[in-house]
Amino acid sequence: MNRRIAIAVALLALAAALLLAARPHEVTADERIDQITTEIRCPVCQGLSVKDSTSETARQMRDLVTQRVREGKSDAEIEAEFRAAYGDWIFLSPPVTSWSGLVWLVPIAALAAGLVLVTGRLRSTDTPPVAAPSPTEVAALRERVAREEAAEG
Amino acid sequence: MLGRVVRVAVVVAILGLVVTLALAFRRDPHDIKTGTVNKPAPAFTLQRLDGSGEVSLADLSGKVVVVNFFASWCLPCTQENPALVRVYERYRGSDVVLLGVNLQETRENGLAYVKRMGMNWPTLADDDGRVALSYGVYGPPETFFIGPDGIIAGRHIGPISEETLVTGIEKLRGQAVSR
Repeated sequence: MNRRIAIAVALLALAAALLLAARPHEVTADERIDQITTEIRCPVCQGLSVKDSTSETARQMRDLVTQRVREGKSDAEIEAEFRAAYGDWIFLSPPVTSWSGLVWLVPIAALAAGLVLVTGRLRSTDTPPVAAPSPTEVAALRERVAREEAAEG
Repeated sequence: MLGRVVRVAVVVAILGLVVTLALAFRRDPHDIKTGTVNKPAPAFTLQRLDGSGEVSLADLSGKVVVVNFFASWCLPCTQENPALVRVYERYRGSDVVLLGVNLQETRENGLAYVKRMGMNWPTLADDDGRVALSYGVYGPPETFFIGPDGIIAGRHIGPISEETLVTGIEKLRGQAVSR
């Protein structure tokens, strides 16, 4: 009995912990700054985000994001400011709804084309239907089999 | 039938690739059309490096403005400077204004460089880099051509030649006259 109560309490505690962890929480300013600067490209680096770069340009960009967050600007407004200056290139993940979005769409289109191609090839290599042998051919084949069996003894 | 479709698709894909590459290689890599080009020049008011006051872009409305971003630690800036000096002397006193915007260094270093290199045009201090960021600057040197209408007509990334400077300026002066 005690063991069952202990298991039930443990399960309840686990469920409560999961619910607490999964509950929506207020995103802090620092979290927003981290999130935004993770998505923005450092223009003087090779594939580094503003958050990860130690360059002076990245530092200035982080300062700008921090100031805009403190001014109460939304993420979209801050991103729009960088987009206006640098274009979509400034984002490490290009938006799907732009020319840059081709980097997402082209691989999917290529995969679909490949599937169509492979399916077509498989269909075209299917064995063509073979006509049933005529009674004469069947008789000839039987005679040949009988002959070979007789030869083998 | 499928074989023919595949052949046509391959030919179309190769043609697309060739056209894309041809268009890409025809472009001058220094002449970037994205970002702020063909848009109103972001407004700014910056202090002069020598501390003798401020310069505001709004006060230069109706003029051809060439904004050159530079730094003393930038070797290509040193390489392009003679062209800037010649172009400044050529258009001195005209409707063309050359502005130098110094970034990512102390004012003392910037001012010492300006004096050493004979830069007699207004040179401004972009201490926090906000002006450079608003123009979409990747790194010095970069040069922007702003028309009398306040629109950024052109942008040059990297060291600029005298010919490119004069061509960009004359194009905008021609527009100003024909308006």
